Amino acid sequence: MVGALFVVSGGEKLLSPYQNFLYIIEQYQIVHGLVAEMAARILPWIEFFLGIFLLLGLWLNIALRGMLGLIAFFIVMLAQAMIRHLPLDECGCFGSLISFPLPVTLSLDIFLLVLTFVLLRRMKDTRLLSLDHWYHKM
Amino acid sequence: MRTLSKKQLTLGIIVAAVLVIGGIRWYFSIRPSSSPPAVLIKAKGRPDAPIHVVEFIDLECPACAQGALFLREYIQKHPNQIYLELKYFPLENMHPHAKLSAQYAECAARQGKFWPFHDLVIERQPQWKRLVDAKPAFEIMAVEADLDLYKLKSCLEDEKITAFINQDKEEGRQKGVRSTPTYFINGKMVVGATALEEELTLLVGG
Repeated sequence: MVGALFVVSGGEKLLSPYQNFLYIIEQYQIVHGLVAEMAARILPWIEFFLGIFLLLGLWLNIALRGMLGLIAFFIVMLAQAMIRHLPLDECGCFGSLISFPLPVTLSLDIFLLVLTFVLLRRMKDTRLLSLDHWYHKM
Repeated sequence: MRTLSKKQLTLGIIVAAVLVIGGIRWYFSIRPSSSPPAVLIKAKGRPDAPIHVVEFIDLECPACAQGALFLREYIQKHPNQIYLELKYFPLENMHPHAKLSAQYAECAARQGKFWPFHDLVIERQPQWKRLVDAKPAFEIMAVEADLDLYKLKSCLEDEKITAFINQDKEEGRQKGVRSTPTYFINGKMVVGATALEEELTLLVGG
């Protein structure tokens, strides 16, 4: 579920012009200019590939840790936007596919963070249907 | 059969994903636009101006109002530099009066009064956007913009008006517009009023 969500959300951002995501990043008022542009071009690829590897169960340990870091980063961004009362109607996290107000997205991200953490802690069970497991058996 | 190593599979997945994303983007970039040309162009400035701006706007969005006010002032300051063309992109799921304001604006355009009406709508956006029913506010602005109210009424009932607005929105979608305001400055996509100011300042100067 976590993997599919990231594949869809990263894929949507990659398929639409990067300027749309750049606009969202700039609304968070943390980075601007070249840094914001780099983030708008790179972040969706990270999201997309982490999602794919998680979905396939390939390099699970690295993918889950990466996912944990990314979700934690999203939570910090959302929380600071809410604390600073930035004029954001919605988070822009899923491109134009789904639109949630900030508190709903923050709750969803916290849920995903906990879920990813559980998956990481119970690696033996998580690996069962994964490509990692298949390679391990070979 | 030789099995792929884990690293080979990883590389294969990365290459395949990049090719798929690139392929889809390429397909949509070469696909011809299915929407017919706009019947009525809402534009101002000299068509031979060096900078052409196409603006996709939702008349109820605050950033659009900020961008529109900036553009009005900027065009007055640099009258020969910019040619502005406006297209509708109402975000009805976010702004309840987005579609109605676009309908009124398009009907004003049919009477050759688009820009006076547009300016009033933009200037007074903070007032009418708070209303549950914005129709009376638009009627007052229509009177102030010197619109023929009888023609306006029949125009608002015309389904073709909604079709034209949807046509603009579809054109925007095909160009990758997802939020408003989105501008195409000499073909370069720029999202947001701040980015517009930065880009124009870079091209023309302050």
